[in-house]
Amino acid sequence: MLNSKEKTYKLLHIEQWLIEKSGDSNETNGILVRPTDDVESLFVTLKQAPLVAFDFNNFDDGRSYSQVKLLKKRLGYQGEIRALNVHIDHLQFIFRSGIDSYELLPEYKQYNEDYAIDFSICYQAAENNSGLIEQHKFG
Amino acid sequence: MYKYHDNDTKFIDQRHNQFKKQVTRYFDNELSDDQFRSIRLRNGLYQELHAYMLRVLIPYGSLNSKQLNQLGLIADKYDRGYGHFTTRQNIQFNWIDLSQINSIIADLAKVNMHAIQSSGKTVRNISADPLSGIRKDEVADARPYCELIRQWFTLHPEFSWLPGKFKIAINGSENDEIGIQFNDLGLQLVLNDKHELGFSVYAGGGLGAAPMLAPKIKSFVPEIDILSYIESVLRVYNLYGKRDNDKRLRIKFLVKRLGIEKFHDLVEKDWLSSRDDDEIKLNISKLDKIKKDFIAPIKPITSKNIEQRVDFNYTIWKSNNVSDNKVKGYSIVSVSLTQIGSAPGNIDSDQLRHLSALASKYSLNEVRTTKNQDIVFPYVRNEDLYELWQQLEMFDLSSPHNSTFAHIVSCPGADYCSLAKAVSIPVSKRIQNRFIENGLLFEIGELNLHISGCENSCAHHHVADIGLLGLNKGKEDYYQITLGGRTKNDTKLGKKLGRAIASVDVVDAVEKIVNVYVNNKQQGENFNQLFNRIGIKLFKEAVYA
Ligand code: SF4
Repeated sequence: MLNSKEKTYKLLHIEQWLIEKSGDSNETNGILVRPTDDVESLFVTLKQAPLVAFDFNNFDDGRSYSQVKLLKKRLGYQGEIRALNVHIDHLQFIFRSGIDSYELLPEYKQYNEDYAIDFSICYQAAENNSGLIEQHKFG
Repeated sequence: MYKYHDNDTKFIDQRHNQFKKQVTRYFDNELSDDQFRSIRLRNGLYQELHAYMLRVLIPYGSLNSKQLNQLGLIADKYDRGYGHFTTRQNIQFNWIDLSQINSIIADLAKVNMHAIQSSGKTVRNISADPLSGIRKDEVADARPYCELIRQWFTLHPEFSWLPGKFKIAINGSENDEIGIQFNDLGLQLVLNDKHELGFSVYAGGGLGAAPMLAPKIKSFVPEIDILSYIESVLRVYNLYGKRDNDKRLRIKFLVKRLGIEKFHDLVEKDWLSSRDDDEIKLNISKLDKIKKDFIAPIKPITSKNIEQRVDFNYTIWKSNNVSDNKVKGYSIVSVSLTQIGSAPGNIDSDQLRHLSALASKYSLNEVRTTKNQDIVFPYVRNEDLYELWQQLEMFDLSSPHNSTFAHIVSCPGADYCSLAKAVSIPVSKRIQNRFIENGLLFEIGELNLHISGCENSCAHHHVADIGLLGLNKGKEDYYQITLGGRTKNDTKLGKKLGRAIASVDVVDAVEKIVNVYVNNKQQGENFNQLFNRIGIKLFKEAVYA
């Protein structure tokens, strides 16, 4: 999993993105989705975005996980999906949810990814189960 | 019972190690109170008035002798020698010191027990009828499905941070003994016209402050598609459920807000686009393997001539607490934990150890816990009944109230629970004592009374014949009475009797209600039938006269 800022994009909120897309497009812009946004409104223009970012700042809010799922499965998005403002305790879920890259909140700067690798076993299919024993598969 | 594999045990250890690190970070001030709260609840740990409380899962209510024994040890070592069986197939320890949490979790893990997702805004323990597998009228045993679904939603990467808690119940028999319509999601095992097995799905039920019966949203989902269907329900809830109003978090509020039709359409749309994904089809070969773990370990036997016992207490106990197992020669024995004079659901460590010994001697090592806070011995040979009763007597566990009125279901209330508005246990004791004094106990027959200490309704008072809900008005405790609630096939919410009644008067009020019932009931009529026939008027007059 990437924890990098190699490529930086200017991020636009969905509404702004939709307005821009009706005019000239700027290839370097990405989309920033908030938990309250309706990702399905991106249906037509989504393919043009090189990056879609989700905000995980709110510790208890898990909407973005389902938004990511819709984006990938129902809207068929294939570009990069990035998680922003991630809490270290969420990493185990971020890893498996179909998100490609993440940025931790600054307060976790003393941690590296190893901190969040607690499990070698999982019980369900997910976007990314690599390295895990998938207990649901055994007969 | 489900047999743990090495990986299951390993997973529990891994979860424990993760939690240990989080507890350390909390002590080091690296986790805020709110963050730690969210994390500890997902591990079953509550902060109550005087101490922490740990809620340990008892999946589908099954416990083996070893586990009972270990729970006794835990009660002594970390609590004050007690555990409390809840109405939802858990056991709680009320006096936990945070500094000892790691060693408790380790002691639980030794017998394959844990508290993962017993609380918090996530998919909770999945409940099934505790008499699953021994009932005569079963469509299918619900427990293998419970186990598979429980596993699937353990630390699920998409659904671990829901708007609110999410309770699933699965019923496998024709009678609904567990009230699936009071759950966020209720699944009823059914056969379709082609005799294929599947589920009818009910969504958006719940007790609590705004009780709601879950409407049916789907008549038939094939068993193989059940995981994708539940995922779709959870996805709609996760995306659209309100998160900004603490009193409106449960899925029932979403179903109400959208309307059943709109809710159903959203789920259906999601499901149609996801169900064909092979990855989320139910793994039938795994299911079959789990099913083997749950096959009743007994074969029919023809009992020897059983000596008839002429002991008055034994006879009463037997008629109230013993029923037939579907396998010939075996009985199901209920042990009531609502002893007169003690808190409902409470059990001390000696009793736990004693039950453990009895379970291994008389019931193939297994007991079940029920929503009425009883312990059931599922596999007792008919010829052992008398001996078992004698043994139960020795430990004060032979209370013959199983289906009598003294069998009050009560939540912990203000004595233990920080959310409580009023006490519940002391009221239940007062009521029990009154009915022993007035000699009515065995005359009343089946009649149930449930007491919840606040609107969270942990004792399910809405569905009792007589329900008491604790309120607080100034300095005194008050109780709102509801009558005529019901579970089983025609689930109904109780009707409010009238204005709330002060604690000093509440036992009188209950007695008056029972008198109206006893004086008006016709041959063989139960409270619910009587209530349907005569309505609430006579009760009102009696209580508020
Ligand atoms: S009903 Fe209220 S008082 Fe009773 S246990 Fe539940 S939250 Fe606590």
